[in-house]
Amino acid sequence: MIALDGVSKTYRTRNGRRTVLDNVSVTFESGYNFGVLGVNGAGKSTLIRLIAGSEMPDLGVVRRDTRVSFPLGFGGTFHGALSGRENVAFIARIYGARVRGVLDYVEGFSELGDYFDMPVNTYSAGMRARLAFASCLALDFDLYLIDEVTEIGDQRFRQKCAAAFRERMQRADIILVTHNIHTLRQYCDRGAILANGKLTLFDEIGTALSRYHRLVQESL
Amino acid sequence: MGDPEGCRCFLGRLDVPDDERARVYCRLSEALYHQGNRDLAADYARRAFELQPQKEEVANLCAWVFSNCGEHRDAAAAYEQLLEIRPCWAAGHRHASGSFAAAGRLDRAISHGRTASDLDPLSSEFACHVACLLETAGRAAQAAVYLLRAAAIEPADAGVLRHLSATLFALEQSEQAVALALRAVALTPTDPLNALHATELLLRTDRYDEAAAIILAIAEIHQQDAVAFRLLSATQMLRGRAEDALVAIERALDLSPQTAEYHLHRAHLLHRLGRLDEAAEAFGRAATFDPSNPDLKRSQLAVYFDSGRLIEALAIGGDLIRASPDNQEYAEAVLQVLHRRLEMLHGDYIVLGERPLRRALQLRPRPTIFAALQTQLRVVYALMMREARTRLAESKLGYGWVLLEPVLHILMLSLVFAVMMRGRPPIGDKFFIFYYTGIIPYHLFVHASSSMTYAVANNGPVLQLPLVSTFDVIMARGLVEVLTDVVVAIILLAGFFAVGTGVLPYDFRALAGSVVAVSLFGCGTGFVNAVIYAFFKSWDKIWAQLTRTLYFCSGIFYVPGVMPDWIRDILAWNPVLHAVDWFRSSFFPEYEPHWLDRSYLAIIAALSVAAGLCLERGLRRHLYEPL
Repeated sequence: MIALDGVSKTYRTRNGRRTVLDNVSVTFESGYNFGVLGVNGAGKSTLIRLIAGSEMPDLGVVRRDTRVSFPLGFGGTFHGALSGRENVAFIARIYGARVRGVLDYVEGFSELGDYFDMPVNTYSAGMRARLAFASCLALDFDLYLIDEVTEIGDQRFRQKCAAAFRERMQRADIILVTHNIHTLRQYCDRGAILANGKLTLFDEIGTALSRYHRLVQESL
Repeated sequence: MGDPEGCRCFLGRLDVPDDERARVYCRLSEALYHQGNRDLAADYARRAFELQPQKEEVANLCAWVFSNCGEHRDAAAAYEQLLEIRPCWAAGHRHASGSFAAAGRLDRAISHGRTASDLDPLSSEFACHVACLLETAGRAAQAAVYLLRAAAIEPADAGVLRHLSATLFALEQSEQAVALALRAVALTPTDPLNALHATELLLRTDRYDEAAAIILAIAEIHQQDAVAFRLLSATQMLRGRAEDALVAIERALDLSPQTAEYHLHRAHLLHRLGRLDEAAEAFGRAATFDPSNPDLKRSQLAVYFDSGRLIEALAIGGDLIRASPDNQEYAEAVLQVLHRRLEMLHGDYIVLGERPLRRALQLRPRPTIFAALQTQLRVVYALMMREARTRLAESKLGYGWVLLEPVLHILMLSLVFAVMMRGRPPIGDKFFIFYYTGIIPYHLFVHASSSMTYAVANNGPVLQLPLVSTFDVIMARGLVEVLTDVVVAIILLAGFFAVGTGVLPYDFRALAGSVVAVSLFGCGTGFVNAVIYAFFKSWDKIWAQLTRTLYFCSGIFYVPGVMPDWIRDILAWNPVLHAVDWFRSSFFPEYEPHWLDRSYLAIIAALSVAAGLCLERGLRRHLYEPL
């Protein structure tokens, strides 16, 4: 369960402060997959980072009673001068996982070969993404946060990712941000719309989608 | 009585007896048949048969007229009548069987046919006829018996052999079937029917090369036989020679351009050869000749899908679903195309796959304070490991420089002052140790406090991890600095012993106390610096100046005792000076500076730690803003 309690978050931009969340109190219950909808710039990614705990709200608190992942496929924590192995060991230590086990899993899954012991600086974007995806899967989270995951690797690797993730989704929830309506319908039971600093939850993803379409059309 | 008109007049009379009347009907019927008036001929024959069915000549004529006029049911009745009179007439049974078969009474046809063949077992025609009937009735095993009889009578009849071969193949006796087919071909090498049959059997038993030999020969002889070329194409395809197969099917299409199946076969070949656009066009042409074939449309859809022409594939898919709305395979194929289409509409699709089933989630218990503390320690430890590895990875010298810097520093000071002071340091008799006792506490303070300034700025990415807080990264950096300096200090001292100028500290309590105090002071100040730097980016330059001044004010290369009292009173406000003197006093028993105030340093260190931690906690939300 993720509970936002009186959470406010604003940003400084060139045109003054922008409000992403304005005194929002909602609860993402466990056992449901949520899809987050919102126009570009509404602050969906900020919401995900607030839920993850990567960012702190200006006011209010975010309560979590599950193990929440960092955004899936997020490779930003990797230090370029360190090898893939060292970076993964670091994340494993942070999350208190068995370092050996995590390293073995990631080494096998990411298929980086000798590159696993090379500095991350030498990786291509795809290799980085593979490493990030594998390390996120290697840690046993209860809730996975997914912010517009783009496709990784070739068809075969994508299928492998899908299979691994499908297995994981049997015991983990997701909160998903994407513009792909197809994906949302496929994975999410419930929906949330972020607009004008307010976050509204819907018990049915279908309701959320139709409400969102109306919202977009009204604003045009 | 010769002309039909006369006959009708004669029949108009009432006193004509039945046998006479039947005879006349027969004559009339025969005459009418020869005139070509079949309906009327059959009509009169029927009247005659009704009058005197048991009379042999009547029945004979009627059977003949009926079967030639296509009245098979009546013919069968007439033959049965005749067979009651002459039960052992083999040809009669054969005729009756033919009529029953034509009238659709297969069981009766078979029973008469069998009787005929049993009465005349040497007639291969009778045996073949029964076999045909039995095969039509689906009784292939019995058919095979009669065909074997026929083949025994006429061992050189290729037609019978082919027929037997087909029947045996249906009975799954494929080896014998193939052998018979090959014998048939050997008997009539130029007959296309036998050759095609043999080729087909060979293909079905995976003997592709033998099949190719036969079909190539027959296609050479019968250049106009489209079926031969179609079969040749199939043979070449099965032999893996798709190019040759394509040539053959195109030849067949030249001969018979309207056959949808040939177009379809060619399209499949092109698809297999990867010539997708041509394949799509070929499927289209096949569809013009056979517009309602759903399998054809399914293949067409696959070609469009493979060549990425999704819109066309969807159009075909629409037809397919409309034509067979209940076919699951078609629906799945269309769904696959739709998925791909959606993926192309939104480049950002997720790598997941279909929706899995889920178990209920178990909540984790709230962490205890102990567990929370454990997590914190774990995180700081992980950060320290990363910090240390990063230093090693980032510069070639890595940790070498950490050791080299104080060594050079002490060497330089020793050289300069050894010359200036004519060989004697202010305390003790070893220059190295004297400057060592100044440099080490100073470094403990300066290294920690300075490098912690950048801890938040340098660790932006790591702070994205929810478990990592600004406190953790600042603390980790401070600890790494302090531990590094302590290790360096130990190595240096060992080095001094190695070159013969080593001195052991005599007061370990003072040593430990001073190191702890100055480290705490350095870390507390480091926290304050990190917070100030977050709001005031020039602070590091100012701090660098301050530490440089501190270098001269901390009694590193002199003892404050040599200073005038009023200057020393001002310098005594500097906590680092106390740290240096405290540290130094643990090495030199004779050194007991009266201005040294250990509690002052301790209090300042505690205050700096408190201030640093409070500032960090209070302003944590503003220390760092992710991009």
